[in-house]
Amino acid sequence: MTTPVLSVQDLTVEFVTRRATLRALDRVSFEIGPGEVLGVVGESGAGKSVTGAAVIGLVDPPGRIAGGEVRLSGERIDNLPAEQLRRVRGKRIGMIFQDPLTSLNPLFRIGDQLVETITTHTDLSASAARQRALALLTEVGISAPERRIDSYPHQFSGGMRQRVVIALALCAEPELVIADEPTTALDVSVQAQIITVLKRLCRDHGTAVMLVTHDMGVIGETADRVAVMYAGRVIEVGAVTDVVRHPLHPYAQGLMGAIPTLADTAERLASIPGSMPRLSAIPPGCPFNPRCPYAYAPCTTIRPELKPPGLRAPAVPGRKVACHLYDPALAPEAAAA
Amino acid sequence: MRAFVEVQDLRRVFDVSKPLLNRIIEREPRRYLTAVAGVTFDIAQGETFALVGESGSGKSTVARMVVGLLEPSGGTVTIDGTPMEGAASAAERQRLRRRIQMIFQDPYASLNPRWRVDRIVSEPIRAFRLFEGEAAIRARVGELLAFVGLHPEDGRKFPHQFSGGQRQRVAIARALASNAEFIVCDEPTSALDVSVQAQILNLMRDLQDRLGLTYLLISHNLAVVRHMATRIGVMYLGRIVEVAPSRELFGAPKHPYTRMLLDAVPDLAHIGRRREPVRGEIPNPISPPSGCHFNPRCPHANDRCRREVPPLADGVACHAIHEGRLEPGRAETV
Repeated sequence: MTTPVLSVQDLTVEFVTRRATLRALDRVSFEIGPGEVLGVVGESGAGKSVTGAAVIGLVDPPGRIAGGEVRLSGERIDNLPAEQLRRVRGKRIGMIFQDPLTSLNPLFRIGDQLVETITTHTDLSASAARQRALALLTEVGISAPERRIDSYPHQFSGGMRQRVVIALALCAEPELVIADEPTTALDVSVQAQIITVLKRLCRDHGTAVMLVTHDMGVIGETADRVAVMYAGRVIEVGAVTDVVRHPLHPYAQGLMGAIPTLADTAERLASIPGSMPRLSAIPPGCPFNPRCPYAYAPCTTIRPELKPPGLRAPAVPGRKVACHLYDPALAPEAAAA
Repeated sequence: MRAFVEVQDLRRVFDVSKPLLNRIIEREPRRYLTAVAGVTFDIAQGETFALVGESGSGKSTVARMVVGLLEPSGGTVTIDGTPMEGAASAAERQRLRRRIQMIFQDPYASLNPRWRVDRIVSEPIRAFRLFEGEAAIRARVGELLAFVGLHPEDGRKFPHQFSGGQRQRVAIARALASNAEFIVCDEPTSALDVSVQAQILNLMRDLQDRLGLTYLLISHNLAVVRHMATRIGVMYLGRIVEVAPSRELFGAPKHPYTRMLLDAVPDLAHIGRRREPVRGEIPNPISPPSGCHFNPRCPHANDRCRREVPPLADGVACHAIHEGRLEPGRAETV
């Protein structure tokens, strides 16, 4: 098997506050292969953005990585000194954030920002870097880049700015791009354009993508695999068609049923009672147990581990779920026998 | 069914000029933004009419004018036969206002953080003097909170003690407090997570069934609109480009913009599909294109489209459809 571009093992992030230590990520593990798009989904507070930030070492204090490891192409990066990690960011990992206006410096022309990034991370000369910037702008679908390269960010529309941000992220030919809600601030017609550009570029360059979003529609059309998060844990991973069409975890099932779709004619949407627990009050055992219609005794005491289903579901490579229902040793029928 | 709400040729123009001194120094004329350019629709009693469109299409401006939060620059809003402005007496309008309520997008901003929930919910009851005596008011507030799935005891709490979905329930309870019949919902779930969104949408439908409410739903989310609305109006740059019953709009959309929008939405039903790239973005509403506003992005535009504004006829404002150059249908099938 080839080395995954990104491998995250048991990553734990804690926020130390006066009252308590809150665990925002609790032993999160996943991998992203070359050229693969992994969607990370979940509702607010599930820990998706913290996962993205932790991978590149940008967890804001008082948060800190309390355990686990992050490997980029097999090389450990979570324990690198700040200066070396800074060089990894931008060069080997590109970032795309939600709001394109805050990721661009309003005082600099977009061409200068692109050239600066290129010359910082490669040994191209300034004029060669400018040529590369023009080529990148063409690639992200900005027509007549010669005329636009010396504009300021405010002269661009939201969609155009996000294209520039994608160009910035891809400047140094990174191995991995982390896109945190890249289309949330955009209108639907523009959203589609941005998704198309992102997908095409990453396929052409063989870049792995970690796509963090709450929008299942975007995931459905963009991602190859999905990781569903709940209360700081990954509760299900699998190919996008499997997870969307046949979710295993009761939370994932509820989530998929709750999303109105264009094909939908259902009278009522399935809804999950209650809401996500606060970090200060995550229930013991499975964090979903108070809202789960199938919860039984072990769910309130034993933490379910993320592993391939052993019951009730066909074993598909790469499919994992953190739920006792699929564990031959702990499922209700095992207890009865 | 008779029309409960009638909106006739509603217009709103905003003055977006620079300050006087700048205009003199820079020799610039006044500038106006036409947010809503002649919108006409009606809503039958007990119906959910939805306005969809992208940002800048003027849908929220329409909502604010319908409830009377914003003065129209032209046109009329008539509710249950009573015009909202002009003719009717103050007392008549006061009676009308009781029957119209609004639910806003952001439940973090629409509830007074210094008021307890029971005071928030009882404000309309007191303002319209619907119940006399503290005990009666308290009982009514408890009933309303139970109605929206909260506990009557929750009335003693402050808004910050609730989650986003619960706050939206409080906002709904407040809207129902005056026995409103017509509720304008401006993006009621776009600040909420999907599982909570489903709870709120289900609640809105249940309340409609029980109380016979009429909704005007403003949303940019086509899937939500499809789930909730009986009829839908699609807005683009201040005009309604298409009005149709929900099933018809999603089954056989007419206007090229509607088709583009339906094709553009990332949706769970379309895993792994290859999409046609959408062309262009919404133009600046300060200087919209002449003729049909959609013509620069439309594959079917001709000279007439660039010159003449198409009238809304047979539920669509499009020359290509009117002239028979274009058949209704989903974009993929054209």
